[in-house]
Amino acid sequence: MVTDPGNRVIEPYVETDNSAEARKAVSDGIINIHTVTSNRFWQFAALFGIMFVLGLIGFVMRLSSGFDDKAAWGYYVALFAFLMTTSSAAPMVAIAPRIANSHWRRPISRAAEIWTLAGCLNLLIYIPLIWLLPSLENGRRSLWFYSDNNAQNMDSCWFFCWGGGVPAYSPHIWATLAILGLIVLGFALLWLSILPDMAVLRDHGDGWQKKWGRKLALGWRGTSAQWNWQYHRMGVVGAFYFMMLVFVHFFISVEFLMVHVPGWIDSLYPITHAHNALQGGVATVMLTMFFLRKFGGYKDYIGLDQFWGLGKLLLALSLLWFWFWFSSFMVLWYGKKPSEQAVLELLVKGPYLYLFITIFLLVFILPWFTMIWNPVRRSVWGPPILAASILVGTLLDRIRLYVGAWDVAEKSNMMKSMLHMEMEEVPGTIPSLGYTDAFVIVGFISGSVLIFMLATRLIPAINIWERKEMLLYKAEVQFHRTKVMVMGKPR
Amino acid sequence: MQEHTQLSHKQINDDLLRDILTVPKWWLPAVAFLSLIVLTGLGAFFFMMYHGLGVTGLNRPVMWGFFIANFVFWIGISHAGIMISAILRLTQAEWRRPITRAAEVMTVFSLIAALHTPLMHVGRPWRVLYWIFPYDFSRGIWPNIRSPFVWDPSAVGTYLIASSLFVFVCLIPDLAILRDRVKNPIGKKIYSQLALGFRGTPRQWKLQIIAGILLSALVLPVFVSVHSIVSWDFAVLIGVEGWRSTIFAPYFIIGAIHSGVSAVAMLMALSVWLYGLDKYIKPDHFDAIARLLIVVATTWFFFFFLEWVYALYTLESPEIALRELQAFEWPYGPLFAIFVITSFVIPVPMWLFKRVRRSAALMFWTTILVNIGMWLERFLIVIPGLLRRTHMTFDWGTYHPSIIEILIVVETFAFVCLGMLLFAKVLPLIPLFDIKEGMVNRRLIKVGRRVVPATIREGLPHHYYENKH
Repeated sequence: MVTDPGNRVIEPYVETDNSAEARKAVSDGIINIHTVTSNRFWQFAALFGIMFVLGLIGFVMRLSSGFDDKAAWGYYVALFAFLMTTSSAAPMVAIAPRIANSHWRRPISRAAEIWTLAGCLNLLIYIPLIWLLPSLENGRRSLWFYSDNNAQNMDSCWFFCWGGGVPAYSPHIWATLAILGLIVLGFALLWLSILPDMAVLRDHGDGWQKKWGRKLALGWRGTSAQWNWQYHRMGVVGAFYFMMLVFVHFFISVEFLMVHVPGWIDSLYPITHAHNALQGGVATVMLTMFFLRKFGGYKDYIGLDQFWGLGKLLLALSLLWFWFWFSSFMVLWYGKKPSEQAVLELLVKGPYLYLFITIFLLVFILPWFTMIWNPVRRSVWGPPILAASILVGTLLDRIRLYVGAWDVAEKSNMMKSMLHMEMEEVPGTIPSLGYTDAFVIVGFISGSVLIFMLATRLIPAINIWERKEMLLYKAEVQFHRTKVMVMGKPR
Repeated sequence: MQEHTQLSHKQINDDLLRDILTVPKWWLPAVAFLSLIVLTGLGAFFFMMYHGLGVTGLNRPVMWGFFIANFVFWIGISHAGIMISAILRLTQAEWRRPITRAAEVMTVFSLIAALHTPLMHVGRPWRVLYWIFPYDFSRGIWPNIRSPFVWDPSAVGTYLIASSLFVFVCLIPDLAILRDRVKNPIGKKIYSQLALGFRGTPRQWKLQIIAGILLSALVLPVFVSVHSIVSWDFAVLIGVEGWRSTIFAPYFIIGAIHSGVSAVAMLMALSVWLYGLDKYIKPDHFDAIARLLIVVATTWFFFFFLEWVYALYTLESPEIALRELQAFEWPYGPLFAIFVITSFVIPVPMWLFKRVRRSAALMFWTTILVNIGMWLERFLIVIPGLLRRTHMTFDWGTYHPSIIEILIVVETFAFVCLGMLLFAKVLPLIPLFDIKEGMVNRRLIKVGRRVVPATIREGLPHHYYENKH
């Protein structure tokens, strides 16, 4: 006889409903939704497709304008940073809760992982930027401590200068490798995650989906060895994805942002950029979840538990946004160094002041002061609205920083201002948004959404095997006068 | 897998109150020894107060020495309580249950230890009041709110009050048990007063749980603000190379979590050895805290890397000269090597092995190493930074701590240990009600031939999970 601490007799084991019928019901339920494509889906896909074509036209126009005028590329770089901050960071919503063994992630982890496919577009956008990055020979300040120039004090820079320094194109090499690495890891993560579901499609799907499943499942039979292999590989790839994400944001924030603004030395900013990515990634998945529930037919799978779990994360990340921003701002502002005051004048107090106030409201004030209220956080509509607010705020923030930085990159005498870390002049206005930039921004954001939408036709948007795994660990038991949920903690 | 040992309420009461209701043999000698060290430290303090700060090794330009390094170290340790207790409570991590109380209590004692080093450092501690309170209205003398001297006491004081309240709220159900079990009439009276009439009614439990969660959420911003403010004591000083860095606030906080969580792991091992609590603190708990430490230590190392990279990025000769002093010159170079090796290079690779993570002894020694390293980190920030303060070129003094400073620093360690021992004598170091709640919530699920531990899910009412909305 097994008793609880109060000496009441309890059943030794909680019964879970892991019958073959229950498992089949999960597979059938998701496959039935997955295999049906509504007309409305194709209408939206066509709309996003048209906008993507406009984006490609804008892309060609931007390329044809040449690489000499850096200020003209500001909005383009801002878009690149925005997509890296959102679609590339979305898989973290699958990785982190999986490591923390949070069950609420199960219905949304696949949607988060599918966003890695949009990385192809990020790579396409990145390629022209390689030609825009100044090499170290240009006299720019760099983390790579290029020693083959006349910079004062270079000889004292012992850390990297032993043995003749580094190649002049080091930033280009490392940034490219990091971005490529992130995309490859994202694809590997997605493939590892879909293996068991592809086997389900192979065994239960029809027509081309069966073929597609056979090709990608690679002989998956669900043996213990295969499950162990998949579980461990997913853990390792997920951990590397996170580390690579942090490094990619380190490179982007340094090479595409800070080195272009003389006087901007902010050791915290790479981490702030990575944090912005986590916030943007969570907001992206939150909106994705909302649309999958509302229009994708997954209402029975994506529930309040998911919105609540992700909402709490978004609330914490919004507060952290303020803390990171304030930690940098406070030190730069308090120091009153003229070079740093000029940076604040450019990015916060000067031409971008109203934009900054809007961003502050959208990314921090609005999410924090509304989601702290339980009825908003514990709802299906509240967190997605605030996620939209955060995404708009993040896009504006990328515009504020990248357009501002690339605007001064050419106006200052690069050699002189970079070495002495002083901005020669702070522009009084924001560069206007041309139709080329508008095409690129709208087009490539639509392109990312289109890739996501099309991918959900090939890959089930809800993770079948994780839902089935939940059957093993979830049970309902009587507890005094009420029923409660019991969750297994397998690892 | 969380090992599943079902214990009765009576057994939990007996085990966890045993050392309160009886006196272990080692307790009195240990308390006497620690009291002696504390008294010696206080004697050194009074000696310093009588003779002035000249008896310390402080000089120009090293105005901050052991005292301030020690202050930052103890503020760091104090972050353990909130990290372990508040964050793990909010995230409903089951493994938190046996270690929350010890972590919270360590927060309170380490904050007191932290506070009294700068008080001693000022030479005439009563004058601290002038920094905080307006003392002469007629002459219009007001505290300078732009000064870290006002920020620090405000932040640390708020944190101390919030942490003490947090400990007290979480103690109420256990105080009620002690009230009912203690036979000494004076003790009974004291516990009765402190238990605030707690009888375990559903309403009282509800209020107690809500208060715990609310305090967890409210104390988190305070926790972040305290070490941010301590870091800004350094970061706002434009005249000291190496200190003025925007990363300092998060870098100090993650460093604090690294040393604080390590201190909790040490405390867990000591609780197992001294109080025989191995039925409650199991290899699983060490494993969980070690996994947390791997993440924290790696994040801390990345911040450390960024701090150094950006210092070199400035390419300013004073900054680079400071880094050379910290890393290569005697005596700071060897200390720097010890700091990096003990706080990251040795412990983190060791924690990657399951055998190390599940061993109380190995966790104890590796976390000791972390704290040696983290103390040195604070020392290496404070002293070489001030030594390189080039504006005062007329005085190139160096710094050697005097015996007085060493005694006072040792006193802070003895004070925290003594405080913990005295606390454990009158109140349980493991929260009884939390352990019982964990036992009540525990279930088992059979998956094939494996038995998986399970727990009743707290949070939303059950009907929310059925998507009937």
